[in-house]
Amino acid sequence: MNLEKVVFGFFVLLAATLNFGFFIGDIGDPELHNSYELYAAVVVNLIATVLKFGDRTQIGAVHLATSLVADLQLIAAALVWGYASYVSTEGLTREATASVVSLSGGALMANIVSVVLLVVETISFHRR
Amino acid sequence: MTNPLLLFWYRMFSDDRPARRRPARWRVPLASRRQPSATIFLVMRRMRAPLIVLIAIFAISTVGLTLIPGQDLEGRPWRMGFFDAFYVMSYTASTIGFGEIPYPFTYNQRMWVTISIYLTVVGWAYAIGSLLALVQERSFRQALSLQHFTRKVQRLNEPFLIIAGYGRTGELLAGSLDALGRRFVVIDRDDERIDDLYTDSFHADIPGLAADAGDPGHLAIAGLDHPHCEGVLALTDDDETNLAVIQTAALLRPELPTIARAVSPTVSERMRAFGTPTVVNPFDRFGDHLRIALRAPASYQLMTWLESGPGAPLPPRGSPPSHGHWVMCGYGRFGREVTEDLRAEGLDVAIIESRDVTDHQPDAIIGSGYDPTVLAAAGIDEAVGFVAGTDNDTTNLSLVIAARKANPKVFVAARQNKAASASLFAAIDVDSLLVPADVVAHEVYAQLSAPLMWRFLQEVPLRDDAWAAGVIDRLMELCGEHLQSLWKVRLTPTEAPALQGWLGTGQARLGDLLRNPDEREERLHTVALLLARSGQIEVAPSDDFLLQRDDELLLVGWPSARRLLDTTLLVDATRAYVVSGRYVPSSWIWRRLSRRAA
Repeated sequence: MNLEKVVFGFFVLLAATLNFGFFIGDIGDPELHNSYELYAAVVVNLIATVLKFGDRTQIGAVHLATSLVADLQLIAAALVWGYASYVSTEGLTREATASVVSLSGGALMANIVSVVLLVVETISFHRR
Repeated sequence: MTNPLLLFWYRMFSDDRPARRRPARWRVPLASRRQPSATIFLVMRRMRAPLIVLIAIFAISTVGLTLIPGQDLEGRPWRMGFFDAFYVMSYTASTIGFGEIPYPFTYNQRMWVTISIYLTVVGWAYAIGSLLALVQERSFRQALSLQHFTRKVQRLNEPFLIIAGYGRTGELLAGSLDALGRRFVVIDRDDERIDDLYTDSFHADIPGLAADAGDPGHLAIAGLDHPHCEGVLALTDDDETNLAVIQTAALLRPELPTIARAVSPTVSERMRAFGTPTVVNPFDRFGDHLRIALRAPASYQLMTWLESGPGAPLPPRGSPPSHGHWVMCGYGRFGREVTEDLRAEGLDVAIIESRDVTDHQPDAIIGSGYDPTVLAAAGIDEAVGFVAGTDNDTTNLSLVIAARKANPKVFVAARQNKAASASLFAAIDVDSLLVPADVVAHEVYAQLSAPLMWRFLQEVPLRDDAWAAGVIDRLMELCGEHLQSLWKVRLTPTEAPALQGWLGTGQARLGDLLRNPDEREERLHTVALLLARSGQIEVAPSDDFLLQRDDELLLVGWPSARRLLDTTLLVDATRAYVVSGRYVPSSWIWRRLSRRAA
C-alpha cells in the first residue's frame, strides 16, 4: 500500500463529497446550504490541488487542470457569498444563494471528472 | 513565387540545391538524464508540503475564529463570519496586525488568536524558507542554467562550432575565434571553467555548459543536431573523452568536420576509424616543428608566426644545432616522439629516464637528469642540444639549470606542462619551448581560420629556407613586425564584379591589383600568400603573376588595405585608375559623355 496514493485519493474524494454535500438541496434556499461546508470544500480543494503539483505525466496534467477549475469555481462561489452577506444591502437573498450554489455545482462537475480520472488511473495501473 | 502553380512546379521539377539536400541520418536523441526539465515542476513538487501545511493552518485558525463566541459593542453575543475571520487571520499571519475588528475580541477569541499567531507565523516561515532554500539549491540552479543554455543554443542563427573542453587550449582558441567573429558553444566538465567563460570578455555571447562532453545527450543539448552546427572540436585533456566526442559526432552527424586533440597514438588510430577527424597530437607536432627548425630556421619562424594569429609579433629565429650529440631527459610519450624525430634527422641522442625503459631503448640511462654524474654519463659535456621533457614542470626547470651548469653552451629545449609555470619558463629563457596547449590551439586555429592558410602552412616545409626568409622580409617590409589580419578574396562575378572584364584580357598582373586606389604608385600594405585556381595552388605569387577569373587569393595585411582593395574589386572607376592610371567618371551619364568626347 502506498501512503501517498491513500492521501491523494482521500483528498480528491473528500473534495468531491464536500462539494456535493454543499450543492445538494433546493438551489435558492439559504437554509439548506451550510457556509461551513462551502468553507471546507474550498480548503480541501486547495489541498487537493497542491497534492497534484509537479506530476509531469499527461494524466497528472489533466488532474491539475480539473482541480484548478474546481478551485476557481469554489472561490468564485465564496466571493459571491461574502459579497452577499457583508457588502450587499439586501443580504443573502434567494438569487445570491442560487448563484453561489450553481457555481459550486460547476465545481462539482470538475470534481467528478477528477474522481473519474482517479478511478481510470487506478484501473489502468499495472504493476510492472 | 506567390502563384501556387509556380510553387508547385518549382517544388516538383526544380533540382534541389545541394545545400538543401541533407544526407539521411538518425536524429540525434535528445534524451539525456539532464534533459532541460521544466523548472516550474521542480518548484511545484518541492513546495507541496509547505503549501499544504500553510493551507491547513489557515483553515484551522479561520474556522476556529468563526466558532468561538464573541460579543458586539453592546455586549450581545455575536459570532464572527468567515469573511471577517479570514481577513483577521490574513493580516495576523502576515504579521501586519491591524487590530481587533469589527468589535474588540473577548478573552476566548484572544486565546485562540494567540495560538493562531504562532501557528501561522511558523507556517509562513516554513513556506518562504522552503522557497528560498529551493532557489539557493544547486540542482535547481543547474536546472535553470541548463534551460538558459538550451534556449541560447536553439536561438543561434549563424554557423557555430562546438568546443568540448575549455582548458588552456580551449581558452586560447576561443579568444582567436572570437576575434575572427566566429560563433561557438563551450562544454566543460568543470563549473569554474564555465564561470571563467562568462567573465572572459568576448564580443559574442558564448553559451557554456558545465557537463561531461563524453555524454551524447550533452552534445545534443550543445547543438550537435542544430542545422547551423558547422564542426566539433574535442580539446579536453583526456583522450578517452575526446574519442567519445569524436565517435558521437561521427556517428550522428557524419558530414560535420571534427578536430581532436590526442596524445596517445592508439587513441589517434581509434579516432581515425570514425570518419575523417583531424587529429592533433601536440608532441608529434612539436617533433615535426623541431625537425623543420633544425633544417630550415626561417621556415619554422614563418610557420610559428602565421599560426600565432593576428597581432602576434615576429618570433625570433632560433638556430638549433643540426649536427652533434643531443641529450633527452624523460622518455614518456613526448620523449619518444621527439627522440624519433631527432634520430630521423641523423642526430645522435642519449636518453635519461627515471623509470626502466631498457626494453624499448637498450642504451637508455636510468637515473635522474639533474644528477651531475648521470648527465656526465649521458655525455652532456660534448652535447650540442638538451631536451627537458618530463611531465613535471618543477623537474624540467631543475633539468634546465643542471644542464646549463654542466655545459653553458648547450641548446636547451623544454616542455611546459602547466599554464601557471609560463613566467618561470620565460625567466629561465630556454631556446625552444613546447607548450602542448598552445601547439594544439595554434594548429586548430590555422585549420579553422582559413583553409587556404592551412594549405599554405603545409607548403612551407617543402620549400627551402631562403624562400621562407624572403617571404618574411616581404611581410616585414609591407606590414610591420606584427602579424596583420588574414583574409580571402575570390575573383568571382559576385565578389569582384569590377574586375571581370580586366581578368578576361589575360593581362591582369597581381601587382597591378594590389596598388593603392588613392595613389597608384604606392603599394597596398598587403601580401598575397597563396593563390588557388581550380585545385592548383601557387604559393606566394609574385607581382607579375597573371590572374584569371574565379581565382582565390589569401592575403595578409593591414585592415585598411582590405577596405581599399574592396573598393577596387567593386567600383569600376577605381579599378580603371588602379590598373591603368586613367581617371574614369564614376557616374553613368559622365561615362557616356566622356566616351562620346573621346
